[in-house]
Amino acid sequence: MHKLASLLFALGLAFLLMGLAAQLPLGATPMGIGADILQRTPSEIGSANIVTAVVLAYRGIDTLGELTILFAAATTAGMVLSPAGGAAVRKAREDAGLVLRAGSDLLFPLLLMVGFYIVLHGHLTPGGGFQGGVVLAAAFFVSFLARAEKQPSHSCLSLIEAVAGAAFIGIGLAALLGGGAFLQPLLETGSVGALISAGSLPLLYLAVGLKVGAELASLLAHLAE
Amino acid sequence: MNSLVLPVVLPLLAAFLVQPVRHVSSGLARWFGPAVLVLCAGLLTNIAMTSDANPVTANIGGFAPPLGIVFYADSLALLFALVVPLFALLLWPRASDDRVSALILLLVGSGTGLAISGDLFNLFVFYELLSIACIGLVASSHTPRAYAATLRYLLISGFGSVLALVGITLVYTQTGSLNLAHLSELAPVHLANPLGLAAFACLLIGFGVKAELFPVNAWVAEVYATAPKRVSALLAGVVSNLAILLLLRLLLLVFDQPEARQILLVLGLIGLASGELAAWRARDLPRMLAFSSIGQLGLLFIAMSIPGEMGLIAALAVALHHLLLKPALFLLAERWSGSLADLAGAGRRAPLAAGLFTLFALSLVGVPPLPGFWAKLVLLLGLAAQDSALAQTAIAGVLLITVVEAHYLFRLVGLLFTKTEHSSVPHRGGDLALASLFGVLLLASMPLLPALADGLAWMAGQVADVGAYRALTLGGAQ
Amino acid sequence: MTLNPPDLITILAAGSVGLIAIGTIGLAVSRHLLRLVLALGLAEAGANLLLVLAGYRWDAVAPILTGAAPAGAMVDPIPQALVLTSIVIGVGVQALAVALMIRIKAAYGTLDIRELKVLLERDICAEAGIVPPSSIHRPNYQPPPGTALPARVASTGESA
Repeated sequence: MHKLASLLFALGLAFLLMGLAAQLPLGATPMGIGADILQRTPSEIGSANIVTAVVLAYRGIDTLGELTILFAAATTAGMVLSPAGGAAVRKAREDAGLVLRAGSDLLFPLLLMVGFYIVLHGHLTPGGGFQGGVVLAAAFFVSFLARAEKQPSHSCLSLIEAVAGAAFIGIGLAALLGGGAFLQPLLETGSVGALISAGSLPLLYLAVGLKVGAELASLLAHLAE
Repeated sequence: MNSLVLPVVLPLLAAFLVQPVRHVSSGLARWFGPAVLVLCAGLLTNIAMTSDANPVTANIGGFAPPLGIVFYADSLALLFALVVPLFALLLWPRASDDRVSALILLLVGSGTGLAISGDLFNLFVFYELLSIACIGLVASSHTPRAYAATLRYLLISGFGSVLALVGITLVYTQTGSLNLAHLSELAPVHLANPLGLAAFACLLIGFGVKAELFPVNAWVAEVYATAPKRVSALLAGVVSNLAILLLLRLLLLVFDQPEARQILLVLGLIGLASGELAAWRARDLPRMLAFSSIGQLGLLFIAMSIPGEMGLIAALAVALHHLLLKPALFLLAERWSGSLADLAGAGRRAPLAAGLFTLFALSLVGVPPLPGFWAKLVLLLGLAAQDSALAQTAIAGVLLITVVEAHYLFRLVGLLFTKTEHSSVPHRGGDLALASLFGVLLLASMPLLPALADGLAWMAGQVADVGAYRALTLGGAQ
Repeated sequence: MTLNPPDLITILAAGSVGLIAIGTIGLAVSRHLLRLVLALGLAEAGANLLLVLAGYRWDAVAPILTGAAPAGAMVDPIPQALVLTSIVIGVGVQALAVALMIRIKAAYGTLDIRELKVLLERDICAEAGIVPPSSIHRPNYQPPPGTALPARVASTGESA
């Protein structure tokens, strides 16, 4: 009975949403702010990837919130999975097999390189700190899955995480102390399309990438233990 | 006023640094968190005093709205923003785990952000951060029942965030903007249609999870019962009021339509009725308080549905009253968390606690001259001033439910003072002192009621002044 | 075969609404916790897709300047930035849900929500010292070892 009611509610919600979505002017939405941002980014921010400009400059504090959400989730998961803190008992795991070990040896440097590439070129091509950070975390996790003795050290990871997060806020506060507003883009904007351009944006994304990588790696390690 | 960001950003920074600080020196780590909270409270008081009772704004990144995100702090926002670190200091959890300190700091940072942000998606991000911080704090009691209750909360909260995202999509496709001031300009043209109303409904249910709104409050009872009681106190008092503030801003600035208020009235009435009836049937104190909290927040939604300044004053009065009362009640419930039948005669062993409980019960029900009475009176007057059938039903409903409330609260008070032997564990000194502090505040507000009422009216006037909000945010940067 | 933009948008919009609907239905009727988490993930994916669609413009390209002359209209960059944030939030929520599920399974031995509801109720009532409402699912439930609270200094201790 309860199930029937929930099913009816969900179906009703589905029909409602269909009706609403049909009325939306998709493809021709009013783009007041978006158009302004598209025009102002090359001169004001100097990054070729306009989405990066939105993420790090115009809506930088949303990104800070997002980083913090990931931090909160990882901290809570760590707290739930290992309440005593400190090193958990390493469960003996069976050998992962030749394919996984050889594959992880091959993939590890490649994934690291790709991850750092995506992070550092976030202001030029699609990508950025979050995407690259996930690839970095995957690199460490693949090697962790393959070799049981290659445990990531949780204190080292949490240190990287903390320092990177503090660096993000620190860059923002530096702008504040320098007389501007919080998270105001610093440094020269440079020429659009060059690697060194867009002011402090690549630095911010570097901090984001390191933090996300460390966080997800430690989260996955906790889940695997 | 660029230092307006600091009370939001500093707790986040401190949360990141909690674990490295522990490596440096463990003595410092104990006081690091509370010190940061004291600093934030000081900063906010400073802003409040130097702003000379005018609202202040801060453009994040130096980008003028509506391109960038703006923080807007009028007196109501500053009041709530100040309440967050103060209550977190008072109700600092007892666990000595670093991660719990980090989570409390995150709660303070996101709560402050929620109070002063002026951008729809930024509010969503801070709301999610607040969710996860609360979840972490509830799970910090490390009992399986806490984990189960937390997971249920997480699933309901996740569904709420899906709905909120759909609402944000609907708003964005109609108006192309996310800034609240800009939206308040565009809303009469673009959002005064069924699509706008649907967007409001989605946002209401999505953000109403924390505010214990009717369809999405299934998580409340178990979470409040299984969390550490100080965390429950924080959740019930501070976090739910922050969610209410968020919904109030949306209602006033963007969705100022009579249908929106009707939805609020209906949902609030159902919440009030279901909450208080469930509290009547509850058999242990924490869950009784949890259901009573649902009821009180239902009352708050009814108050919000009254248009004009009268509604705002009623809503503020009920909200502040709830803010003082619920944390204190949860503090008393720390030692009295057994079954209600077990509490027979507990009043004789702990007269101060029982006296405080009686005081709070009287104020909850609304016995004059306690503040609870005045709050309910303003609410009923506001409802009576409208002449719609719905408002008349609401008045009848509120009065009936007050009778139910009085019944179960006085039943418990009577049980406390019966003449039986009771071998109860006495309250911890800290909890009792805090609860007495709240009680003293409550009593002290009674002679100050006229001044408080004037203050509330002035605050309500400032909040309702949408034109000034728009002019300040969009007009010039400070 | 290339689809005309109006058809493409209709398909995508219908798909995203469908995902949200499937996710909601899954949340409503699933009994296993893992399915609930997966349904939530589906619904979040649908909502993200809908939000990205809100920025689409016909005959426009990605908002990336490629050094050549500006290529005409570009899609709206704001919804893409919003969805970036929203996906990360979803990841955090799902990771947390899985961590909690691991602990619940270890403590209660089941991931079925009907059984868990009964067990949770019994645990809360046991902690409070009141008799839980009876249920046909687990008439003789014993709390797992180590999870029962230390005995309270209670008066007449009604049996749990």
